[in-house]
Amino acid sequence: MNTTLKMLAGTGALALVLTACGGGDGGGDSGGDGGELVGSGSGDSCTIDSPVPVGAVVSLTGAAASYGESQRKGLELAAEKLAENEGVTYDLKIEDDATDPKQGITVFEDLTKDRSVIIGPTLSNTAFQAQPIAQEAGVPVLAISNTADGITAQGDYIFRDSLTEAQVIPQTVEVAKEHFGLEKVVVMYSNDDAFTESGYKVFDQALQDQGVEILDTLTFSKADTDFRALLTEAKGQDPDAVVVSGLIEAAIPLVTQARELGIDVPIIGGNGFNNPKLMSDSGEAAEGVVVGAAWNSASEGDLNKAFLADFEEKYDGQPDQFAAQAYTGMFVVDAAVRANCSGEPDDIRDGLTTIKDLDTVLGTFSINADRDAEHQAVVQIVEDGSFKPLN
Amino acid sequence: MTESLVVFIALNAIFAFSFYAVLVAGQLSLGQAGFAAVGGFTAAALAPEPRDAGELPTLLLAIVVGMVVGALAAVVLGLPTMHLRGVFLAIATLGFAEAVRILLINAEWTGGANGMSVPKIVTPAIAWVCLALVAYWFWRQGPSSYGRALAAIREDELAARAMGIDVGRHRLSAFVTAGAVAGLYGVLWAFYVRLLAPEDFAFGTAIDGLVMAVVGGSTTWLGPLLGSGFLTAVPEVQRALGVEAGWVRPFVASLLLLLVIVFLPGGLGSLIPRVRVRVPKDGAGAEGGGRLVERPRTAEGEAVVRVRGGNKDYGGVHAVRDVDLDVASGEVVGLIGPNGAGKTTLVNMISGVVPPSSGSFEVLGTTPGRTAVHKVAQAGVSRTFQHSKLFPRLSALENVLVGAHVVSRPTFLRRLLWLPGARRDEQDVVAHAARCLDRVGLADRAGEDASSLSYGDQRRLEIARALASGPSLLILDEPAAGMNHVEADSLSELIGSLAREGLTILLIEHNVGMVMKTCDRIVVLNFGEVIATGTPAEIIEDPAVIEAYLGGDDAGPARETEEVR
Repeated sequence: MNTTLKMLAGTGALALVLTACGGGDGGGDSGGDGGELVGSGSGDSCTIDSPVPVGAVVSLTGAAASYGESQRKGLELAAEKLAENEGVTYDLKIEDDATDPKQGITVFEDLTKDRSVIIGPTLSNTAFQAQPIAQEAGVPVLAISNTADGITAQGDYIFRDSLTEAQVIPQTVEVAKEHFGLEKVVVMYSNDDAFTESGYKVFDQALQDQGVEILDTLTFSKADTDFRALLTEAKGQDPDAVVVSGLIEAAIPLVTQARELGIDVPIIGGNGFNNPKLMSDSGEAAEGVVVGAAWNSASEGDLNKAFLADFEEKYDGQPDQFAAQAYTGMFVVDAAVRANCSGEPDDIRDGLTTIKDLDTVLGTFSINADRDAEHQAVVQIVEDGSFKPLN
Repeated sequence: MTESLVVFIALNAIFAFSFYAVLVAGQLSLGQAGFAAVGGFTAAALAPEPRDAGELPTLLLAIVVGMVVGALAAVVLGLPTMHLRGVFLAIATLGFAEAVRILLINAEWTGGANGMSVPKIVTPAIAWVCLALVAYWFWRQGPSSYGRALAAIREDELAARAMGIDVGRHRLSAFVTAGAVAGLYGVLWAFYVRLLAPEDFAFGTAIDGLVMAVVGGSTTWLGPLLGSGFLTAVPEVQRALGVEAGWVRPFVASLLLLLVIVFLPGGLGSLIPRVRVRVPKDGAGAEGGGRLVERPRTAEGEAVVRVRGGNKDYGGVHAVRDVDLDVASGEVVGLIGPNGAGKTTLVNMISGVVPPSSGSFEVLGTTPGRTAVHKVAQAGVSRTFQHSKLFPRLSALENVLVGAHVVSRPTFLRRLLWLPGARRDEQDVVAHAARCLDRVGLADRAGEDASSLSYGDQRRLEIARALASGPSLLILDEPAAGMNHVEADSLSELIGSLAREGLTILLIEHNVGMVMKTCDRIVVLNFGEVIATGTPAEIIEDPAVIEAYLGGDDAGPARETEEVR
């Protein structure tokens, strides 16, 4: 190849690196205008002159992109709704962590420079790696989908609006046991995923606590698509129900194959099953699947109905739980900002600790002393192709 | 530019170096993710609490543990897989990495898929110091005899063996280096990201490391750093430029990657001019190569080659049949015969490249066929090949330096410490190589790539490379092929002068005139059998030879030679 081309390529590469350096420096100097973020008034009458900078880190590309995309929609819809309110405006910047911890850490570092609060990230592992950066920088983080243990224990600037598996699953088991009279079950889970593994542990504990006998525990990989051998094994034990902690990618073939093999007992899933795809892709087979969730589209409440209508209008589709939790996240932040009428990070943090009995699309919502979310979980069962509340 | 970006450029570069470590030896391995995983997890599990031991001692201990474990894993994986080549090695090592990941997910002590929480100790300074040390290692390795041997293996494995390089050992040591460097990466990663999860070392990670090493280029030690800088900075640059988050970013990143690979096949490193070994201005001949390794010499008249009943069958084809051949020290023996007579097969067996089907072979105290090729070469056999087997991307001088492998002292470890002896040794070897080049008339082309030389020059370079090892037995397989009369004449003179110095030479050549002029004795093969042996004068009169090779009618040997070529 000729020299000119080489020179061009070389200059391009150099320019890339230089821009990287320059771009980062530019972000640093916006910290000075902090005073403008303190407003006057309180609650609904609070007025802040400058828009409050809110950062969100979600997985728009990579393995978790389907969740991140829902979250983006929920956040953007919430930002639009909040803009209709008087007094406080938000400058929402959504960033992509590409489902890669390196990107997660880098993006968090970027956002802590000029954002007052960070929403996200999508996955718990990324959260463990990235949110200490915000903790050290004194920027509050509101997790909107992380259900793993220990997320909020990482620091006093870390909050979440998502119920943990430890909150949802015991309710699921309790309601299911009551409803179906469960005595003995087979448990299946994918042991190579942080989320489903911790889900399994909670299931295991909850089943033991409630005196349901575990006939057998079977493991699979999150990449598996053929569960016939495991299901045949499970069927042989003649359980009252099959309890599964798996992601939606495994849930669809697993449920379909279970019905094909004549397993007609209820299948009780973790949060991974909580996805409309389950019904659209498994069809008939999904009937009778029981899933605990933080949110159900059929839940009562005017807020929820309005949310469904707005979402439908903007995106021409149904929201899922990720969208609902993300949507709630923005409103929780808004409540925290208005509590002290300030967009400063420390004031938002203090505001978050005071959230109590807030009316949201998830129901009546509070943040407890552990900075975790508290609201009623919904135990749902698939009937006629959609999730219906069981409790 | 955020702190994490600075750290990740360094960490990614270290990981890319672990791929570079084997790419320079021509090995495609994807096992580095596995080495990094075992190194990182073991170190994180064994390291003391930073509160008790202090941060830096903790990290240093972890690094030592991680590198040792990574290297051990490479030995364990390397021993059974080192004979695999190309994509087969890649698949085997990939399988290993995947097995490690599954093992870590299912182990109790690693915290399973939820991972292990690790204190954050690594700072940008620590990361870049580690990178500097790794880069330094490879910078010093490149121009050492060890580094050249690895390059030779990458370029042409068989030729490297024939130059006396123990290919298996070199490949394994490159692999172990990769394991140790990958282990270092695993430890630094663990002690930076706070949560160590098996997912961090999945297939995608291995591919990222390989891509960075390839995009950076494996011809220069700066390559991995360039590749890492490029690929790590691209997402950051896009963010800085305000490219909207989403599919556009990975798309643009992939596009840039494609452009680099299409327009810079040698990677970003090919933008940097290569530093080539130079011939010292006055060094040549001054010291007479006093610091080279002494090679055993054979006494005049002593048996160098002794073949009894040598046979080689390929299926039903008898390439060589019951050949007896003796070559005594100081003799110049010509091996002639029609194409397909088995000449090359015979010398391949003598040099150990091809194992005989039966018969006894003794060459300079070794048993070719049972003795490894490099050991036969180390015993003093040096050869050229019928079809040039040069190291195409190495310069002419570097080719000859590889030829001098068995006479050069190992310099890599001393180069790391800048010991003055290493430099002197290197200069001596370079001077020696320059003399060999000069001898074949290629002194002025020392800096050119072997692949860019003309055909005739390539043949001469191969002879210079063979000479550089200071052999006791020199096997030349059709050295004059492709040469014009003038070149062939000067080659003939060169062989004559080598013979006068007492070198034993076995010469295959179709240029009968040249064979007659230079050889003491000629052996004629036809259909794998010796049909005649004797002095040039006897051979030229031998009716069987005339019948089979020189031409049945009155046609002279010279005319036949033209036809053959």
